[in-house]
Amino acid sequence: MALSTHTTASGFLLPSIHSAPPFFTQQPNASTQSIVGEQWIRLILAYARHRNLFTLRIEDAETTGGDWDEILRNERIHRRLLPSHLSFLFSEMVSKNIAVYEPPKQTRSVLLYWRLPEEWAEVLHGWAISTAQLNTILTFYEITDPPIESPLTGIPVTILRRAITVLNKTGRAQIIGVADGEGVRFFAGT
Amino acid sequence: MDLSYINRTEYYAGLFKSSAKVTIYLYAGTGANGTASNFPSSSTNQDTENVFESWECEVCGNRNPPGLSPTAAKICALCGVPRSSVPIPIKTPAAAAASTSSPPNQGYHLSLSLPASVLPSALSSSASLSAHPNVPQPSNTSGSAVQTRTPSSIACPACTFLNHPSMRLCEMCSTPLPRLASSQTQPQSEGAATPGPTRTKSAPSSRPASPDLGDDNDDDGGGEGDPSRNMIKLSFRKGGDKAFYAVLKRSLMGKAWEGKAIGKGRSNISSTSNVTSDPNTGRSGIHGIMRTVETSAQNTATDMSDALKDLEALMVKAKDMVRLAAELNERLTASSTTTTTNMTTSTLSITSTQSLTPSLLSPSPASTSSSPSPTPSPTPTLIPSTEPEEATFIRSSLSQLGLQMSNAPVTLDMIRDERKWIDELARELAGVLQGRRNGEGGESRNRATGTGMMKERGIVALDEIWGGWNRARGIALIPPSTFLLVLPHLPNHTTPPIRLRTFPSGLSVLHTPAYTHASFASRLASLLALMGPRTTMDVAGEERLTVGLAREMIGAVEADGEVCRDEGDAGGGGNGVGGGEVRWWVNVFRGYVWDGQE
Repeated sequence: MALSTHTTASGFLLPSIHSAPPFFTQQPNASTQSIVGEQWIRLILAYARHRNLFTLRIEDAETTGGDWDEILRNERIHRRLLPSHLSFLFSEMVSKNIAVYEPPKQTRSVLLYWRLPEEWAEVLHGWAISTAQLNTILTFYEITDPPIESPLTGIPVTILRRAITVLNKTGRAQIIGVADGEGVRFFAGT
Repeated sequence: MDLSYINRTEYYAGLFKSSAKVTIYLYAGTGANGTASNFPSSSTNQDTENVFESWECEVCGNRNPPGLSPTAAKICALCGVPRSSVPIPIKTPAAAAASTSSPPNQGYHLSLSLPASVLPSALSSSASLSAHPNVPQPSNTSGSAVQTRTPSSIACPACTFLNHPSMRLCEMCSTPLPRLASSQTQPQSEGAATPGPTRTKSAPSSRPASPDLGDDNDDDGGGEGDPSRNMIKLSFRKGGDKAFYAVLKRSLMGKAWEGKAIGKGRSNISSTSNVTSDPNTGRSGIHGIMRTVETSAQNTATDMSDALKDLEALMVKAKDMVRLAAELNERLTASSTTTTTNMTTSTLSITSTQSLTPSLLSPSPASTSSSPSPTPSPTPTLIPSTEPEEATFIRSSLSQLGLQMSNAPVTLDMIRDERKWIDELARELAGVLQGRRNGEGGESRNRATGTGMMKERGIVALDEIWGGWNRARGIALIPPSTFLLVLPHLPNHTTPPIRLRTFPSGLSVLHTPAYTHASFASRLASLLALMGPRTTMDVAGEERLTVGLAREMIGAVEADGEVCRDEGDAGGGGNGVGGGEVRWWVNVFRGYVWDGQE
């Protein structure tokens, strides 16, 4: 049975493995499952990057109509990722530090690091420079919801805070308390 | 009194000094036409006893069942003779108890004053104690010879008051009166009392010695048609009226008397305990039924033990019979071996060292005559031609008895050395599995299937083999522990070698080389590559395995990573193809390179 890639409605190119029914089954064989999990995580991160998605919940596998339907389901072969399998993938992603449980102390929802906080820090700094906002105080809102769409649009505050912390350590940002919350000032850095 | 006679009831809660009363109206017809004899006047209890017990017709001896209508109960169902001529009705204990102290009277109007605190069961006795206002006394009216209670009065042991013989408690001091054999005489005295009123239908000729205890308005003067005569008025002085009335109402609503057996059972239970030893109780009622059941159960038990005794005796003799059969076989064999020369060589392979040497013990004459021996017997003489016929006759009859010894299995007492024994067992098992090989006793004549268990199948579960082997042995069964000891020796005796394999689940099988893990895995992989994904059922059909075995074997292959599973769509997403069944795929993940979007 020849498997082929498929382009979804949102323009995402699904890998050919997504058309293989065993891909949606949690394999009992550990070595086989490691390959399956690897491919799944890669697929999830790629799709999250494609759609600029940050959170993935168990509910996305349980119900239809979510943002993740295009990869968690394959109507062409009548398969879907089972919540238990997705939960297993969550734990794997968290252990690989490419996702964190958000909010913490539960396992039904993760925040995806399709960019690591360090990578986000660079993106943030580059954005600040490109928009000439160095040395000015920006609120978090101004970063996550700028008037002009940026790579940072919609970034969860948790990730943003971590990225700023990274920048803070390298002396390129400073967190400042402002009246209605927190603000950040970027420096040119070295 | 039968509750079915109650027409309606009235309740009067009581006002100031007048105590609460319950008035019970009876059907007028019963009291007026002379059938009042069917009323034992006594009981005011709601669990009153039946008047219509089963009774024996004096003329035809027919036993009339209870449960007839009041009019039908008067005459014998068989011969039509009125019941009034019956001297001895068969009484249930309850009825006997109730009617002892208060013989039946005609239409009456009772107003009883009851101690409110007495229990309902005691109520009947205590009520009946004081409720025989105008009754012809048994001693006076009945001319019956069975009358046993001759004393006209009973002296109270406590106060020496001379009570009327029908009293149970002393009228003065309520001390229980010494009644001689009251329970035994009750039916008879009752029976004696019964015909009295029905015959005379007249006012009593004499009054009892003790005064009537009517502590109330005793009116015997009313005419027979007087409706007030057909009622009972119960007065409650110290409460308890409400409870009593509720119970009465419920009993009336329930119409418990319509199920006679039940009603009788209840009245039996609720009746006072001093009459339960009535000897007549065995003849009717629930008690009689119980006794019948007991008796039949006892009979059955006796029969069973007798039958089992026979079986035990047979078991004791069984060993002797087997030995006898063996000796007989031996003798026959010996006689045949003396006459036919070379036949002794064709002994069974597995029984080479056994003492019985049952070489030619085939059950049918045909197989005896045609049984091939390694060297054909030369010139059978005249004598064996007649003798084997007798021999085969005996043997066939023996085999019909299940005592044939021809395929006697190897047992431990035949072989001293245990290792040799195991080895022999392995060889025997090999014969069972693969069929008898040529040159080892030649023909598998006594096996229904000439082929072994694994002739057709390459892989068989251990339990099946164990069962099959023991079935082939018939006697001296092999325990599983010995069976497992034998198995490692099996490849030495089988061609192709049959080996033992244990799956991770604990399932053990014997398999031929075609079903080793490696060859199965390669076969499965090529099957899946060729035919696409397959379910376990498909694979089992393809490999001629049982589904359970196929699952185990595929599981082993899966553990190697050669195949992967597709469990199907467990829910939602349309009608799944797999439908929950696992479909097996070649491992599509192995060597997969990402070809999707980065």
